[in-house]
Amino acid sequence: MRTNSLSPVQKVLLTGLIVIAVAWVLFPFYWAFVNSIKKPADTFRSVWIPWVQFQPTLDHWRQELDTPEIRRALRNSTVISVGAATLSVALGTLAAYALARFRFNRPDNSFFTTWFLSQRVMPPVVVVIPFFLIMRQVRLLDSVWALVLLNATFLLPFPVIILSQMFRELPIELEEASLVDGASRLQAFFRVALPLVVPGLVATWIICMAFSWNEFLFALSLTSNKAIPMPVIIAGAEHTRGVQFWFVGVRTMLTMLPPTIFALLAQRYIIRGLTLGAVKG
Amino acid sequence: MKQSRLLLLLSLLLIGVLALSACGGTTTPADSAGSSDTAASDADSGEATPVGDEGLAASVTTASDLAPPIVAEPCGDDCPYTGQTVTVIVNTAGEKGPISGPIYEVRDEFEAATGATLEIVEVPFAEHFPKLMTDLTTGSGQYDTSIAGAWWLGDLVEGGFILPYDDMYNAEGFPEWDFEDVLPGPRSLLEYGGQKYVVGNDHDGQVMYYRRDLLEDPDHQAAFEAEYGYPLAVPETWAQFRDVAEYFDGKDLNGDGQPDDGLTMHLKVANQGMFHFMSFSAPFVIGPDNPNLYWFDPETMDALVDSPGHVRAMETMIDLVQFGPEAMMAWNLGESWDHFLRGEAALTFTWGDLGALAQEEGSQVRGLTGAAPIPGTTEYYDVTAGEWKQVDGVNRVGNTTGGSWSGVISKDSDAPEATYFLLALMASKPKSSVYAARGWDGVDPGRYSHFLPPNGDASMDDYLAAGWDEQDIQDYSNAYYENFNAELQFPYLRIPGAFEYWTSLDIHLSEAATGQATAEEALQATADEFEQITDRLGRDMQQQSYVSSLGLE
Amino acid sequence: MSAQLDSPPPAAIEPVTPRVRKDRTGAWFLAPAVVWIILFTIFPLLFALYNSFYSFRFGQRNQFVGLDNFGRLFTDPNLRNGLQVTLWFVLVTVTVEMLVGFGLALLLNREMQGKNILRAIMVLPLFATPVAMGYLGITIFFETNGPINDTIRALGGQGIPWLSSPKWAPVSMMILEVWQWTPFVFLVSLAGLQGLPQDVYEAAEVDGASGRQLFRSITMPLMAPTLWLILLLRMIEAFKVFDIPTSLTSGGPGRATEVYSLFTYRTALRFFDHGYAAAQGFLLLFIVMFIVTILYGRISELYE
Repeated sequence: MRTNSLSPVQKVLLTGLIVIAVAWVLFPFYWAFVNSIKKPADTFRSVWIPWVQFQPTLDHWRQELDTPEIRRALRNSTVISVGAATLSVALGTLAAYALARFRFNRPDNSFFTTWFLSQRVMPPVVVVIPFFLIMRQVRLLDSVWALVLLNATFLLPFPVIILSQMFRELPIELEEASLVDGASRLQAFFRVALPLVVPGLVATWIICMAFSWNEFLFALSLTSNKAIPMPVIIAGAEHTRGVQFWFVGVRTMLTMLPPTIFALLAQRYIIRGLTLGAVKG
Repeated sequence: MKQSRLLLLLSLLLIGVLALSACGGTTTPADSAGSSDTAASDADSGEATPVGDEGLAASVTTASDLAPPIVAEPCGDDCPYTGQTVTVIVNTAGEKGPISGPIYEVRDEFEAATGATLEIVEVPFAEHFPKLMTDLTTGSGQYDTSIAGAWWLGDLVEGGFILPYDDMYNAEGFPEWDFEDVLPGPRSLLEYGGQKYVVGNDHDGQVMYYRRDLLEDPDHQAAFEAEYGYPLAVPETWAQFRDVAEYFDGKDLNGDGQPDDGLTMHLKVANQGMFHFMSFSAPFVIGPDNPNLYWFDPETMDALVDSPGHVRAMETMIDLVQFGPEAMMAWNLGESWDHFLRGEAALTFTWGDLGALAQEEGSQVRGLTGAAPIPGTTEYYDVTAGEWKQVDGVNRVGNTTGGSWSGVISKDSDAPEATYFLLALMASKPKSSVYAARGWDGVDPGRYSHFLPPNGDASMDDYLAAGWDEQDIQDYSNAYYENFNAELQFPYLRIPGAFEYWTSLDIHLSEAATGQATAEEALQATADEFEQITDRLGRDMQQQSYVSSLGLE
Repeated sequence: MSAQLDSPPPAAIEPVTPRVRKDRTGAWFLAPAVVWIILFTIFPLLFALYNSFYSFRFGQRNQFVGLDNFGRLFTDPNLRNGLQVTLWFVLVTVTVEMLVGFGLALLLNREMQGKNILRAIMVLPLFATPVAMGYLGITIFFETNGPINDTIRALGGQGIPWLSSPKWAPVSMMILEVWQWTPFVFLVSLAGLQGLPQDVYEAAEVDGASGRQLFRSITMPLMAPTLWLILLLRMIEAFKVFDIPTSLTSGGPGRATEVYSLFTYRTALRFFDHGYAAAQGFLLLFIVMFIVTILYGRISELYE
């Protein structure tokens, strides 16, 4: 880390910039919170500060937390995103290692990489109906496992791309040394290479989790009742009578809570782990 | 170090939230207000009671006062549908929300009376139809009944996806309800091709709302007459509506010192803005000599929506936009209603929900909200004759625009009888009357028995008990009665692909309203797209559907 | 290129390339992911391809129409509109995200108090459900007295028609997208910056290189692969944008924010024209893969 000293003016400018960036990032969350404690009649009044400008209410929170469907949806979302992220990182790590350490011909490495990437290109709506048919056939409609499987599939490109860059950065000598010592490829992978990319694994896992946490379209079409996750619940705040903004507020805050805690817990890995393709000395 | 403190803080927050949810659990009885005296005492003390899931500016003060009576007797040992499950799919709105609320409310009674189990699946409003169609086209049979929108009927019936209930209607063993009690306008939506498919529930239609206090104010009356040369009154024609909107636009209408708007509409794309245009344009196209033809020529299936009548209607409507807030181009129902409820607009035209919401806590227009049928015109363009025709008096056309959310029975249901039992139970007169009186449940009135005398035999006491202002409900009841009973009715489009046609209209309407196209260009483009849709779906089949949906055969 | 086992460690800035291996072990590492994806996507893709040759009625295959659905792609003005809206969207949002995200990362790539918390805060938008952000945007961009217009008016300006004007609505949707995804660029490029070899900088500084020279001749070349990769990932996601325009503006006013995915979504799940929707999906697949292939070629070059 470079520590070139800053002049006082630069310091003030930098601090100002950080304040602006933080305010920019946090304002929508503040607004979601304010919406969640406003009475419906106050939603579109120009008021910003609870108690000072309007009388806040906890009714929406109480009502939402009382709803078993919301608690269930939080649980479902957690199962889906943790399951899908874990599965895709597990599969993706192996593939990433293969792409980083082996050269394939016909099809070659870059074909595989772009092919993996292409999985994220097709608009999901085009394949929703066939997936519905598959899941009905295997009796996984309205099951969180259907969503775990699907999300894992469409998340795979992330671990493959990110981790293969990371494996490439590892000095290959360590693995080769262990191979010379008589270890198998698999052992070299598990004992030498894998432990070195743990921060990257965690970071990738978190990114995958964020994506599957927010996935909406598959969740919507493949669940109907007991497997419904949070994004569908949030979309349910739009009624025939318009969007119920106070529920959007509560639900946004609730939805944010679990991944935020995950992110804070793993926060130090996020930067360390994401050294995507950067070159190490 | 700081990081661990932050984590601690967050964990505490999480624990707090969980604790809160536990506390919430202990207060449930009061919240859900199963007993009416709890709610009543809350209302008396004027305290803010927990707000239900029932819409903008609403509160449960009125929600629990009125509960429908038990209609179906428990079946005891002799249950007709033991072991069956009825799964209903309905727009998300929760246990206390519009349309879905009454289903939760009736669940215990239904299960006790039939031995069947009732499962309720809520889906976001916009995703209901696709989800239902996915289920039906793949033959999955996840749902026995959908509380469906009226414009789906073309696809549902012509696709062979739902069952008629003529055989079960008022047959032995089913709850009784009276089909003929429904007014002619909404009644026509319950049938298709001469068979009964939809069990009466909600009855939608648009009426005009106005601020009674403003129109009755002597100062405004004098000033208006001086300016326009005729007395200020409830607008009868769109021309008068324009004058009144123009007059009040920019004046302070709610005493907050800020200038307010002459009118408000909800014109956001894909949020039912086209219904505004349908109600609005009806009297420009429909008239005594042309009671039916608005969408297509039944012989050729050529689109009619670019006729001079339609064009003038759109021009007139877009001209009105200047008297409302510019922001309403992006407004959904909620935002527009909120504007009116805060006293910031003098006029609007929309669904029955607004009249009900005006009565609830947070509304600044309770007791000030007048209602009347949608204004008319003095001439209309008869597309069959190809010329403008003058009318004696005012040419008014009733409408049933909207969803009229009501139950249909899936062909894949393995419990169609139990399903019909449920729908008929909710359609029975004692239930329906209470639903119609309450604002929060979103079931809007449309039967003779819902309207106040002399139009019907509803009781004013019911409405007052539900929290209505007496003058407001009188106006509201009269307005809807006249609307649904009008001799001319706007021809609702119920052919396959109706939603696609409407989306095209909706988007081009928005383009015209935001100045991206003229009214004529917008309607020309709409007509072109109509032709493409018709060709793609099959012109002959579309024509047959159209003819039979109008009952022209 | 491939280094021998006994060769010295590669020079600091020399990229590491995959080693040539003739053994088959690699296939075993790759196989699970490949089989998995084929298993799950081959049927849906074939199904979509099959559908694309049919016209639909009531959401069911009606008639074989050959390549008609693909022909419609080239004559449909609404599709062209969707493509145009999306291209602008991708161009603007990805550019802004890259510039702001990387710029912030450069500025904040230094020791300072509270950097961990700062980074934790910056990661939050990634977890904000886009559907919710769209709805929230309705209240934030609310024109009569929403927080933004209130602030503008308090500063003496005129309220902006954020959602009701066909000119501004795309801007509003882009702002939300930028809000959500700039942190991604910021985090990944910050991580990249921190991985840069310090000794090279030190050596250059001893040689008296200025800050600008350091940036141009060391930082940028070393960061280039990372930045290209971020660009690639962001572009793919941006092309598929759906949730925010859907919940914020529903594609309006008119079709001003009707992005490609929303258009395809309407075709498939509103109008049940699955054949045409499938054709649209393949067109997008083709366009994006074309761009990806070019970009990826560029990245591969950087590694050689």
